[in-house]
Amino acid sequence: MDGATADATAAEVIFADRLVKQINTSGPADSANGSTVLAILDGLSLRVTAGESVAIVGASGSGKTTLLSLLAGLDLPSSGEIRLAGESLTALDEDGRARLRAGRVGFVFQSFQLLAGLTALENVMLPAELAGHADAEMRARATLDQVGLGQRLGHYPHQLSGGEQQRVAIARAFAGEPRILFADEPTGNLDLATGNRIVELLFELNRSRGTTLILVTHDNALAQRCQRVLTLKGGRLHE
Amino acid sequence: MNSWGAALRHAFRRLRRGWRSGELLVLGLALAVASAAMVSVGMFSGRVQQAIGRGSGEALGADAIIKGRDPYPADFADGLRKLGLKTVALTEFASVVAPADGDQTQLATVKAVEAGYPVRGELSLSREPYAPAAPARGIPAPGEAWVDGRLWSALNLHADARLQVGSTILRVAAVIANEPGRGGAFAEFAPELLMNAHDLAATQLLGPGSRVEYTLQLGGAPAALADARQLKLPPGARFRGIEDSRPEIKNSLQRAGRFLGITVLATILLSAAAVALTARLYSERLRDEVALLKCLGAQRGFVIRALALQLVLLGLFAGGAGALVGALGQEVLGLFAAPLLNTALPAPGWLPLLEALGLCLLLLAGFALPPVLEAVAVPPVRVFQRAAGNETRSRFGLVAALLAVGALVGFQSGEPRLAAYVILGAGSTAAVLALLAWGLVHLLTPLRRRSGVAWRFGLGNIARRRGTAVAQAVALGVALLALLLLTVVRADLLSSWRNRLPPDAPNQFLINIQPEQVKPLQAFFAAHGYAGLDVWPMVRARLVELNGKPVTAESFEDPETRRWINREFNLSWTDHFGDDNQLLSGQWWTAADAGKPWLSVEEYGVEKLKLKPGDSMTLDIAGTRTTFTVHNTRKVRWDSFRPNFFLATPPGVLENSGAVQWITSFYLPAGQRGLLRELVRQFPNVTALDLDAALAQVRGIVDRMVGALEFIFAFTLGAGLVVMLAVIEASRAQRARETALLRTLGASSKVILQGLLAEYAVLGLLAGSVAAIAAQVMAWVLAVKVFDIPYGPRPLLWLAGAVAGCGIVTLVGWLSLRGVLKTPPRQVLVG
Repeated sequence: MDGATADATAAEVIFADRLVKQINTSGPADSANGSTVLAILDGLSLRVTAGESVAIVGASGSGKTTLLSLLAGLDLPSSGEIRLAGESLTALDEDGRARLRAGRVGFVFQSFQLLAGLTALENVMLPAELAGHADAEMRARATLDQVGLGQRLGHYPHQLSGGEQQRVAIARAFAGEPRILFADEPTGNLDLATGNRIVELLFELNRSRGTTLILVTHDNALAQRCQRVLTLKGGRLHE
Repeated sequence: MNSWGAALRHAFRRLRRGWRSGELLVLGLALAVASAAMVSVGMFSGRVQQAIGRGSGEALGADAIIKGRDPYPADFADGLRKLGLKTVALTEFASVVAPADGDQTQLATVKAVEAGYPVRGELSLSREPYAPAAPARGIPAPGEAWVDGRLWSALNLHADARLQVGSTILRVAAVIANEPGRGGAFAEFAPELLMNAHDLAATQLLGPGSRVEYTLQLGGAPAALADARQLKLPPGARFRGIEDSRPEIKNSLQRAGRFLGITVLATILLSAAAVALTARLYSERLRDEVALLKCLGAQRGFVIRALALQLVLLGLFAGGAGALVGALGQEVLGLFAAPLLNTALPAPGWLPLLEALGLCLLLLAGFALPPVLEAVAVPPVRVFQRAAGNETRSRFGLVAALLAVGALVGFQSGEPRLAAYVILGAGSTAAVLALLAWGLVHLLTPLRRRSGVAWRFGLGNIARRRGTAVAQAVALGVALLALLLLTVVRADLLSSWRNRLPPDAPNQFLINIQPEQVKPLQAFFAAHGYAGLDVWPMVRARLVELNGKPVTAESFEDPETRRWINREFNLSWTDHFGDDNQLLSGQWWTAADAGKPWLSVEEYGVEKLKLKPGDSMTLDIAGTRTTFTVHNTRKVRWDSFRPNFFLATPPGVLENSGAVQWITSFYLPAGQRGLLRELVRQFPNVTALDLDAALAQVRGIVDRMVGALEFIFAFTLGAGLVVMLAVIEASRAQRARETALLRTLGASSKVILQGLLAEYAVLGLLAGSVAAIAAQVMAWVLAVKVFDIPYGPRPLLWLAGAVAGCGIVTLVGWLSLRGVLKTPPRQVLVG
């Protein structure tokens, strides 16, 4: 994969070319100004076509989450280009990137990231509402039904178990019918049995809706369920 | 996409749920308390001021009066009645009256009144002078006259004596003991006769050219009175309200208004501090949510709209709820206060409700919106990196807070100087506190290593949450400042105010003392236990030239000035002025200045004639013109009830001007009225003026005001404590998490509690000490610059502030965090 410089085609939903992400850290003065430049991603390239499921694995601190943030437009690379659904993220401002995400991108986080002040239903409605879907509530109800929480619509996050909270998060990710789903260690905070059920649910919804899945995990068994497994090492991806 | 509708829905939903999940509860509580306090204080003080206004109406005999030289057209009085005002007509003129069967005569003020007189206050009568008095029922019946003690003495009257008034004869039915509305320049009082207006025609005294004063007494609501003030008056007529009334009443009312002003302002400042602190903490908690919203596709505009709408909704809901509580609270307050105030309180006005909502939105815009909007800048990547966006701070916050403070001064538009002092004081305290708290945070770092685990935890909390600790210390300091101002300083200021009118304030004035009577009179008083009676000379003068230019009443636009110029001035001489005189400009004179043609002018003259030191005034004194130079200007505390003069010269200038009279004042205890009878017998031409009633009115106002303020202060004090609780409550979630973590690591509840208490004790001690010093400085500024009362340092206040700060903050902290300690750690960490 590395070094690929081919143009994005229509079927490509993610196109990343020579991505570099550096951060300045203050630490032992091994440079003139007392700070160290740390390259997390070092000329990384990636192409993902519609409907693919891609696992990104790697050791802790290898930059998996940083890569995910860049691909989703949550952060900008130090250099290189990223296109998401055909649009260049580096050419867009923060609002432009948010607009691009709305309705096209879904997220599942390790720590669920539900809004504590909203009920399960309201949490799930949120992305669809932000995308301007008039039928946000209907979609949310249907998706919550699909994840088996049709009876818990009015419950607040603190009234749900960890597994249930993650199911709400998955329902939220799919309710907006995104083209791309980013999942960051979706089972990281769950016990094995609950984690397995969540994985089943994730892949089932992914399959049935034809969503492109980018999954970041350190769990090899989970990664193997994806069509492609890429290992992030030394700031580059290896297939 | 990301529309206003979606933002409103999100804001509403977030707010609705926010109450239950507790996130917005504290901010809402702070606003509700502010609103409740503002409404209670605003509505209640409005009612009290109206009640006091009515009380002062007794001093004028009405809520307002219109005086003129011509009878009023019928449609004019109709117009006043249409405004909802009660009107009572009064005809006053000077006439010589004489007993029908004697040969003595006396020039008296004859007052013909109609039913309903007086509109405010109570007329009381006795059978003979200085005998026990009882309230009058109505007005003199046709054919009857009521006379005052001086007319009775001057004409040697007796009960049922018959008096010749013009062409008619009236029977003396009673002696007037107290009459509302008798005030003004006491030395101009002539003996008085009160008669029924029906008998007026029979006197045949009102012909062309007679000098008659026609008065309409008005009674009614302040709004109607304000409308009446705007009416076009017949030529020569003038309107006088309570505020234009006697200077001693005006002084008392002004001071009362200032006390109330402080109370309201202190309450508002408390709330502002609480809102600012709570919003700051809320903003920190908002950051995760904003990052997630952005991650899910929310644009910046949507987030701004949703947060701003959320604050507006919060302001309206919490402010509205607080306003309702405040409205109920002031009703209860009114029930308690009415008997104390000896009067029924008028119905409350509803304006404070709207003001409270406006205040809530202003507090949110000035103190909550900027920190909340800081959260908008948080980048979406914060969903993965907790530290991202922690550093977003803008300077807009300071500008908004300053603008809001400016607007708060606008709320206190009646007393901008007072507002400026209080806000400057609070601002300086906040700055000093911020500086000290910042220093303390640095100082604590090395101390932590040497202290026990509980203190290390508590002090560590302060050091770690540097910004929050500084903000908390500032808010607590401002809260303690308000509480100290309202408790200790209030007591000081109120008692100083009360003591300004001591129980033995002069209640009797003697006028018309002839020069040769001065020594015998002093001897008479010395024989009756009044040694060293001070007497004051008095000369009548008329202003003829100002800075070399001839002047008449017509030279001035202001009707009040015209009236003043038309009268004769009372002029006196003295080598020194009493402590009820305060120098405004120029210098006092000394004994060496005797004989110099200098003038000392009171503030009223300065204002009306625009005088300054160096100006010249030519006065006509008994036909001789003398030109004086204004040497100094001064302000008189008229409510001291001691003789004072608008104009005075050094000794050696007026002594030989002829027509010198002397006056004096003294305190006569209630049981020694016989002295007056003896005095009148020995000095028949000397006139005694009984000022007991006027004194009682001023004392009544002060007492009513102090009573009302005690209630309002108690309420503000309570509001301050609740706001302080809200301040501490705001950090509860963070504390709950830390406490759970510490307990998980094995810390006992005791250690944790000690740590929390240590933190609050240090914060309270610091805030209390600075607040006490600030309260002291502010009290001094307020006393000297605003209230004109002496005020010295109170060293114990510092100790009281430090102890109170430490105690109150620790107690409130303990009360609010007890629940945190009882919550199982798992619940907090998992939730």
